[in-house]
Amino acid sequence: MSSETSRPIAWSAAWRISLWGTLAFAIGTLIVFIFLHRFVSNDIQQRNDAWLWGEVSLLGDVAERTPKDALYSQVIAEMAELVRKEVPNKRRSLSTGNDHVFFLEKGENGSLKLWVGEGTGESTLNAILHSRILPDQPIDLFVDGISTPFRVVSLRVEDGSRIYLGLSEEDQLRVLNRFRVYFVLLWLVIVLFGFALMFSISRGLLKNVQSITDAASRIGRSDLTTRVPTARRADEVAHLAVTLNSMLDRIENAMHQLHTMTDSLAHDIRSPITAVRGKLEASLSAPSAEEQADSIVSSIEVLDRLSQFLTDSLDVAEANADALRLSRSEVDLAEAVGAMIDLYLPTFSERDLTLRFHCDGPVSINADPGLIHRAISNLFDNEVTHLPNGHTVTVALRVTDVVMLTVEDDGPGFAPEIIQHLFERRAKGRDSSGRGLGLAFVDAVARAHGGVVSASNRATGGALITVCLPLAVNVSVFAERTGGAIQE
Amino acid sequence: MRFLLVEDELDIQQFLKRSLTESGYQVDAAGDARTAMKLAADVVYDTLIVDLGLPDQDGIDLILSLRQVGVKAPVLILSARRSVDERVKGLEQGGDDYLTKPFAFAELLARLRNLLKRDSPPEHISTRLRVLDLEMDLIQRQVTRAGQELHLTTQEFALLEFLCRNAGKVVTRSMILERVWGMRINPKTNLVDVHMSRLRGKVDGRGRKPLIGSQRGMGYVLRNV
Repeated sequence: MSSETSRPIAWSAAWRISLWGTLAFAIGTLIVFIFLHRFVSNDIQQRNDAWLWGEVSLLGDVAERTPKDALYSQVIAEMAELVRKEVPNKRRSLSTGNDHVFFLEKGENGSLKLWVGEGTGESTLNAILHSRILPDQPIDLFVDGISTPFRVVSLRVEDGSRIYLGLSEEDQLRVLNRFRVYFVLLWLVIVLFGFALMFSISRGLLKNVQSITDAASRIGRSDLTTRVPTARRADEVAHLAVTLNSMLDRIENAMHQLHTMTDSLAHDIRSPITAVRGKLEASLSAPSAEEQADSIVSSIEVLDRLSQFLTDSLDVAEANADALRLSRSEVDLAEAVGAMIDLYLPTFSERDLTLRFHCDGPVSINADPGLIHRAISNLFDNEVTHLPNGHTVTVALRVTDVVMLTVEDDGPGFAPEIIQHLFERRAKGRDSSGRGLGLAFVDAVARAHGGVVSASNRATGGALITVCLPLAVNVSVFAERTGGAIQE
Repeated sequence: MRFLLVEDELDIQQFLKRSLTESGYQVDAAGDARTAMKLAADVVYDTLIVDLGLPDQDGIDLILSLRQVGVKAPVLILSARRSVDERVKGLEQGGDDYLTKPFAFAELLARLRNLLKRDSPPEHISTRLRVLDLEMDLIQRQVTRAGQELHLTTQEFALLEFLCRNAGKVVTRSMILERVWGMRINPKTNLVDVHMSRLRGKVDGRGRKPLIGSQRGMGYVLRNV
């Protein structure tokens, strides 16, 4: 994608999202590890302490019970040697010698009474003498020359001397150290893997967004017919694409309307203005007063048609913008249609058209009488202008759960190329002299009243227009009175 | 009869003033609401003609403030707006009338006369109309021309009655549709002409002197001379 290659990857949202996400994950796992580490190290220490206490009390017992003779040192030393051999941590290295445990008995005067362990024990004694040892509390003892501290417990024996048992913390530290190393390695792998996964997922998602962006920018520049690609999955991005596409549909529709509007406005307004201008110019140079008057009169006629066209266009535009102001009252639709038929009948018969009306009595609707009149008049105008001589128009008014006004004829029907667009402004047949506002207005009026209009060609030939309007509350439908058919 | 014409478009103002003066009325013209208020405070007018789109105030507001200072004359509202405002409808119910631009002068004149008639005491309701040798009996619903009875349909009768009541004056097609059929519609077909030619065939047929004349570009007129 063009914009992606031109920008460093670090600027992309996918990069930032994965970075922050991974950071949060890394910090979170680190905190968990710290808690885990403390728990493990405490646990190891507690076990070591328990072992030390057990062993030291055993040694103390033996020391107390063993008579203080020449053998005492030997017994205790052997005992201590045994203890050294059962060091709790089995995993310790098989290093030469056993410097992990020491046993030390300190005399009352602070002298070294007994030492079992590596070396002479002098440095250990020094360390003990210099550190504050709390009774019955294990401590960490640092001995000069040895890098790892010892865990030391002490017990006072009867003769006033004190025995110390120390366990090197080297094993414990090594375990914890290994634990940390393993964790850090694993942690790094997981974090890197997580980052890669998150980056690839968000990149994939944002790639869709990017393609939507690209398509949208193409649309803005050139044409409105392009659509944004829609993903197969039904996620939020796919939803965005679908929404965007339906928005584009509406915009395209509006633009199309605007174009046809302006195109036809140019034609429908400029032409009559040109005609009027020409006629008036002609009247200026007309030789006789009669010819002069003739030009002027026909100018007035053109202007009348123009102003009527303007009224209709504006009405349809207003209605399509749902801005028709309705001043509703109770209207008897049967009466309205009947009156309109009375008005149109001579015109129909003059053109050798038959007009029939079927109706079952008063049909009361809550509507704007002016608009309803004009809509019906448009439907009739449509028939008068488009139906060839000698055909029959049947108007019927039926009441089911809605009010249904049908106007059908047995003429040639709607041309197939316009039947899809009948209710659009400007829709008109090829040889129609009208301006294609009639049915658009009917549609707009019906919609303003909460109804619908449909148009189709009948199976037996001829056009059929159905206007459905909602019923007013109290409707009185009289018994069958189909005798109301009017025939010329 | 003295009218106050409130219209900011100078072309329209001048043409209306001239035409109304020619028709025998006195006309004062104002180009904005302020001037109109001043004029209305000095002179008592028989009718006001008010355009809705004034530069300094909405026409309806002007009418309402004129009403507040006690101007009772009926108002003919001129409007370029297609759909009529609820407030205009309110005024219409209060006895005023409205006319959408563009209009035929004949229609404006007819509406003005109607407004004036509403103001004057009702003339005695005639049951017979007579124009030259044409006679209409509104009760018996009989029409005779030079003593000979004409057989008219209900619609033709209503149409002829309207023409008789406006004898000598031009009536436009939209006036006929509104008054005779009670519809404010703009048919794209020559409905009124068809009706009129049928009526004409009955009234003026058989070599009689034609009574119903048509004025091209305007409408029809029933000759009374």
